[in-house]
Amino acid sequence: MTSEPGADPATGTPLSVRGVSRRFGSVQALANVDFTLESGEIHALVGENGAGKSTLAKIVAGSIRSDSGSMSLFGQPYRPTSRREGAAAGVAHVRQQLSLVRGLTVAQNLQLGRPGAPAFFNAASARAEVERWSDEFSLSVPAETLVDDMPLAVRQQAEILIAVAWGARLLILDEPSSALGPLETKALIALCHRLRSEGTPILYISHRLPELAELADRLTVLRAGRVVVEGADVRAADLREVATLMIGDVSLLEVNRPEIEQGTTRLTVTDLSVSSTQEIGCHGLNFEVAGGEILGVVGIAGNGQDSLAKALTGQVKLASGHVLVDGEDISGSARQAIAAGVAHLHEDRSTGLAAAFSVADNATARHVRSGRFTRFGVRLADKIARHAGELVERFQVRPPEPAARASSLSGGNQQKLMAARELEKNPTVLVAHGPTKGLDPEAAKAMRDRCFASAQAGGAVVVISADLDEVSDLAHRVVVLYRGRVTDAFPIEEMTSERLGAAMAGLTETMGDASG
Amino acid sequence: MPVADTFIGGDVGDAPPEPLEDEGRRLTTSLSTSCLAVLIAIVLGGLIMLMSGENPLTAYTAMVDGAFGSKFALGETLSRAAPLAIVGYGTAVALRAGLITIGAQGQVVAGAIGALVTAQFFESAPSAVAIPAAALGGALFGMAWVLIPALLRAHFSVNEILSTLLFTEFAALLIEYLLNNPLKPPTAITPQSDPYPDNGILGLVIDGTRFHVGVFVAVAIGLLFVWWVRSDRGFSYDLYGENPNLAQSLGISGNRVIVNSLLISGATAGLVGWIQAAGLLQRVYVEIASDIGFFGLVVAFLGGATPGGVLVAALLFGALQSGGLAMQSSEGIPASLSDIIQALLLLGFSIRYAPQIIRLTRGVMANFTLIGKRRK
Ligand SMILES: Nc1ncnc2c1ncn2[C@@H]1O[C@H](COP(=O)(O)OP(=O)(O)O)[C@@H](O)[C@H]1O
Ligand SMILES: [Mg+2]
Repeated sequence: MTSEPGADPATGTPLSVRGVSRRFGSVQALANVDFTLESGEIHALVGENGAGKSTLAKIVAGSIRSDSGSMSLFGQPYRPTSRREGAAAGVAHVRQQLSLVRGLTVAQNLQLGRPGAPAFFNAASARAEVERWSDEFSLSVPAETLVDDMPLAVRQQAEILIAVAWGARLLILDEPSSALGPLETKALIALCHRLRSEGTPILYISHRLPELAELADRLTVLRAGRVVVEGADVRAADLREVATLMIGDVSLLEVNRPEIEQGTTRLTVTDLSVSSTQEIGCHGLNFEVAGGEILGVVGIAGNGQDSLAKALTGQVKLASGHVLVDGEDISGSARQAIAAGVAHLHEDRSTGLAAAFSVADNATARHVRSGRFTRFGVRLADKIARHAGELVERFQVRPPEPAARASSLSGGNQQKLMAARELEKNPTVLVAHGPTKGLDPEAAKAMRDRCFASAQAGGAVVVISADLDEVSDLAHRVVVLYRGRVTDAFPIEEMTSERLGAAMAGLTETMGDASG
Repeated sequence: MPVADTFIGGDVGDAPPEPLEDEGRRLTTSLSTSCLAVLIAIVLGGLIMLMSGENPLTAYTAMVDGAFGSKFALGETLSRAAPLAIVGYGTAVALRAGLITIGAQGQVVAGAIGALVTAQFFESAPSAVAIPAAALGGALFGMAWVLIPALLRAHFSVNEILSTLLFTEFAALLIEYLLNNPLKPPTAITPQSDPYPDNGILGLVIDGTRFHVGVFVAVAIGLLFVWWVRSDRGFSYDLYGENPNLAQSLGISGNRVIVNSLLISGATAGLVGWIQAAGLLQRVYVEIASDIGFFGLVVAFLGGATPGGVLVAALLFGALQSGGLAMQSSEGIPASLSDIIQALLLLGFSIRYAPQIIRLTRGVMANFTLIGKRRK
């Protein structure tokens, strides 16, 4: 434990942040943030995706610097210039992407990079130390098991344990529960309480409100880089109001939505479950989407959206349930999904395009192995270039140069290229995952128009997004995902910040059926 | 937390979208970097010659002369380039699909054994049957030698670099055993097989040279490879190599790509084993594969896994090898200088790949620590 001369850890305020701002390019991630962590408290920091929570955590931990403002730690001015310096001052930052070395054991991780560690590694004493701390907190963190072989929840416990063993005086947990199940979350809460009673204050970042009522003492709400609630008493707070504050005003009617006539059901999802080791998966989803209808799937990122997008496009084996497109079951077969006319705008352009391939190869990739544009199994480059040229013209990809590399295009044009590939024919079902994410207004409008056009042509459209504006601009109806389940479903006209906030933060009873 | 400072760039999950990576997954090289590597190797090689008291000009002239200067020299160069090119093309198929197989050496050995055993089985058949049968036997043994690594990679994500390397080791042990025991003629003192059956021998095509039928096989495989890179199936494999997630979302089966492309690489290496046994050595020795498997890989990398690139790279290495030997006999300059140039080539080109190689090494190391453990 390092303690600076003159500092009294018992009396100084553990952390005080005053007027901290930070900008990334055009994004003001934090604007004049004031924040105080008192001793002996668990302070929850909540906010939507992109609110600036992680940025604040990183500034406190020392891994990035603020543009302006000041901090003090246990009564002493605190200006960390690196994460190592922050750690030496007693700030431990446990990130969502855990940073244990996966090919090593917990005991080895304990020694690796430890402040003031001796040059030689004493395996026996490291093991004993892990066991001692593990017992102390009534955990069962194995000292000699490879991190890779441990479940996520145990890895996280190991990381917290190592932080404490390194002498952390203040702990920051960034979305620690987002990949945990209910029981594991309970264990985490117990561990946090234990740490609090040992005198370690905790800054706990989350957007899952229900667990905070049990866990935290006070809470601070960030929205778009600003503090909207500072240090409210959690027990006295109305969590529904907090949820609403997190989201802010949801504005409807910003876009003039075209009139679209709704047809019969084209997409039917019954009892859909996906289990995933990587993320939360989906559990028992039921919904239908009619031709001409746009369904918005909202939720904070990491609540099962990826699994849902993959399930709807036949890219994962389902643990249970069915995905029917015009009555045909396409579950678990991407090939069948494509044959049935399912189009997929990937969330991430780096997974949705072959960056090093030409525009022409990307634009026509959906025809691969279909026998189109080939003779004797050989691809006909001229035909492909000509066809791609037409597509690129139609979808206004700039520059309209079939031979250019996809990676040479701007983000908006890459998105248009992906649309050209997927929407060449009017889709029966369009799964658009964050279709306007990161695009400039003009490109975003083009993508919205593509979604409307697919619906107008009779397709069922599912827009999956963590961006509420994107959904409110597009959708006729909304379902809310929380921990892989649908917590609410309503027509867009009934969307209010209160209702949405509650459902997104998990304050609504899980609904069995959300078909409209 | 631990090793905090080795992680640069912060949280993966909430970082803003990255620009599309262009070179990240590319395992193949561009023409200009390859040329640069060659140039650097020649210059550095020249410096080393100077330092060891040789005249680089004399040496290089002797090498060029020994590689291309006569009918014999040309035959020698082509006969050395042919197996490198064949292994190179097969490896290139896997490389383009994003798989780094370094097991060609073992597959050549397996192919030689396969060809010999098949040829012995067809000992009294007409050559028109025995020769193709032995070729097939070699190819099948080469494929068999990569089958387990391929299945492990497809179904359990076991790193193919490590597993194919291990199988090379197995092949070395196996051939040592076979040539000391079941395949060894009673009269032999050193480990070796019976002479390759006469009816299966690939004759030398041009007398007075070592130009053999393997050169035609290399041309045929080269043409097949040209077809492959232009074919729709080849495109789907390339797509998988470039972006596996996208390929799978377009209905391409990743497991099939992995297994098939590795089998193709195994088959070509197996064919080389057949050529070595039936054409050049006409017997199977422990050293049957020479270093062909390893240099074949280099040829695939250096040639950027493209048809022309692999061809040029194979000719370059064939010329360096034949020229090096000629230089030794004509000028008395040690042929090991040619080995040095080949090694420099390898180095020059691996520096270009330093980031990828480091990443791969990490992958391999992760496998090492996990040996004997389940890996998801
Ligand atoms: N390294 C970075 N470069 C550019 N923009 C960033 C960077 N880190 C965060 N941002 C942006 O700052 C904003 C706040 O991000 P973050 O603090 O990660 O939000 P949260 O953790 O609340 O979801 C977002 O708009 C994000 O895109
Ligand atoms: Mg965050």
